[in-house]
Amino acid sequence: MPLPVVVKSLSKTYREGKLEVSAVAGVDLELYAGEIVGLFGPSGSGKTTLLSMLGCMLKPSGGEFSLFGNDVIAREEAALSALRKQYISFIFQAFNLFPALTAFENVMLVLKLKKVAPSLASKKARELLEVVGLKGRVDFLPRDLSGGQKQRVAIARALAADAPLILADEPTGNLDHENGRTVMEILKTLASEQGRCVVVATHDNRIDDLFDRLIHMEDGRIVSERRWDQ
Amino acid sequence: MFYVALKIILYDKLRSFFTLLGVVFAVSLIFAQVGILLGLMETSSVVIDNTPGDIWVTSKNSRNFDFAHPFPEYLLYHALGVDGVQWAEKVIIGWGVMKQVNGGQAQVEVMGFNPSTGVGGPWDMKEGSIGDVKNGNFMIVDESATKRIGDFKIGDYRDVMFRRIRIVGISRGVRSFTTAPILFTSYHLAQELIDYVGRDKTVFLIVKAKEGHATSKVVEALRHRLKGVDVFSREDFSTKTRLYWIFETGVGVSFLLTILVSFFIGMLIVGQTIYNSTMEHIKEFGTLKALGAGNGDIYSIILFQAAINAFAGYLVSLVFTMLTVKLYEAGGMVMVMKWEVNMAVLLVTMIMCLSSAVFSIRRIKNIDPAMLFRG
Repeated sequence: MPLPVVVKSLSKTYREGKLEVSAVAGVDLELYAGEIVGLFGPSGSGKTTLLSMLGCMLKPSGGEFSLFGNDVIAREEAALSALRKQYISFIFQAFNLFPALTAFENVMLVLKLKKVAPSLASKKARELLEVVGLKGRVDFLPRDLSGGQKQRVAIARALAADAPLILADEPTGNLDHENGRTVMEILKTLASEQGRCVVVATHDNRIDDLFDRLIHMEDGRIVSERRWDQ
Repeated sequence: MFYVALKIILYDKLRSFFTLLGVVFAVSLIFAQVGILLGLMETSSVVIDNTPGDIWVTSKNSRNFDFAHPFPEYLLYHALGVDGVQWAEKVIIGWGVMKQVNGGQAQVEVMGFNPSTGVGGPWDMKEGSIGDVKNGNFMIVDESATKRIGDFKIGDYRDVMFRRIRIVGISRGVRSFTTAPILFTSYHLAQELIDYVGRDKTVFLIVKAKEGHATSKVVEALRHRLKGVDVFSREDFSTKTRLYWIFETGVGVSFLLTILVSFFIGMLIVGQTIYNSTMEHIKEFGTLKALGAGNGDIYSIILFQAAINAFAGYLVSLVFTMLTVKLYEAGGMVMVMKWEVNMAVLLVTMIMCLSSAVFSIRRIKNIDPAMLFRG
């Protein structure tokens, strides 16, 4: 089984007028199934850019990138979309739930996009909402849910995509400590019990203990990497 | 995706209401303009379309029904001698004036026909019969003339071209494009009333082709035989008259311009609403893309929103227009509503709303995925 992610000398440069800005510069990284990895660093350190590239949403400027054995660098947008559909799921700080759809419908939408049969999709959506502790909130609109509950719906939606790689950008950024910790515990369970690879970009040092591996970035480079137990 | 589009529309009720109002405004205007334009077209050729006979012979270069010139009557006999002609009748249409009961004058069109055959006479009588105009100063007036000449009834007298004429019948459905009332008299009385026609001249010959003879062949034969006149099939003369009034007078162009403006107003309203809605949901759409949805999946949500707006707006407009048809008629206008017209307006509404979604689709196509990571 190929590793979820193998990147070598991955880089991303932007042009700002005449200046060339290096957002990610020569990152080497391997990610494994069943682990939850924390990507730390100050604003502008390159962690969101790295996450965008790992999610096949931003084309790298250079380097090598293998996603479950597939070479990402040479692919066009349509092929990247297909890779995302097969392997990657996302959780965002801002939840990005459709306000007009209930928690259940938001999850169902992804299952419909995956062409899951309606009866099976309905059962799965309810199960996923139960997994994230929202059994009693399935028919609530996002406006009637707390921030933590919204993020849990977003996690259920990400799980509906049934992807082996979950990328989360500041998933606790809009949550209080208690809700943030609950969300992170769900993500950790997904990694440890379901064998998914979860990468979380965060500023939140209070949840360090929930990561298997901590990667620290500065100026577009990985400056330190350690396991939690080290 | 239809369900998602519907939910988005129902969620923001106020915005959806105003969008619906905009579509209803634009589509009702299109319905009204198309209906009235078609009504005018039908009115302009209503006599031709309802007169029996397959062929109309007119003076040379006549451009429409209402302003044809006289030509010699004896051509009737030439026409009757043409192979394939079953019968031919003389009909006069000319302009005159009627003295109003309360003073003043109203312009009228006098139509003279042979009351024995009824060819060129009214086709739907409300009161009296077409034979009543025989042998005297008698006329049939259409019920729609009340707006121009005031209330009247059978037995009333009116002065037409300074001659006292008795109303002996009331017809239905005879309107002219010019809005001047059409009065039906015997052929000979019309000849006397419209002095510029003259005693030995007619304005039209109406010809019936024998069974088994193609109208086009008989038209050709008549063209060959009759000199100094034009010969048209009934359909061609009807179309010629309609096109004259609608396009050569500029009436049609002004209607078409209003329809076009309504189309763009509707497009603008729906386009702006859908674009705003798309922008509000841009991160949600982006998230769907990130989760593997193709552009087509997201386009379908946007297009369904446009289609729902179009269909709902169309239905409300259709009901509104159906309810207001009587109002138009009370105002003296003919408003045509046919299923073909309704389908055409539905198509126009769909095009209007779906094309308005193009800006939203462009926006979706160019979503920057990195935007999703910006909190």
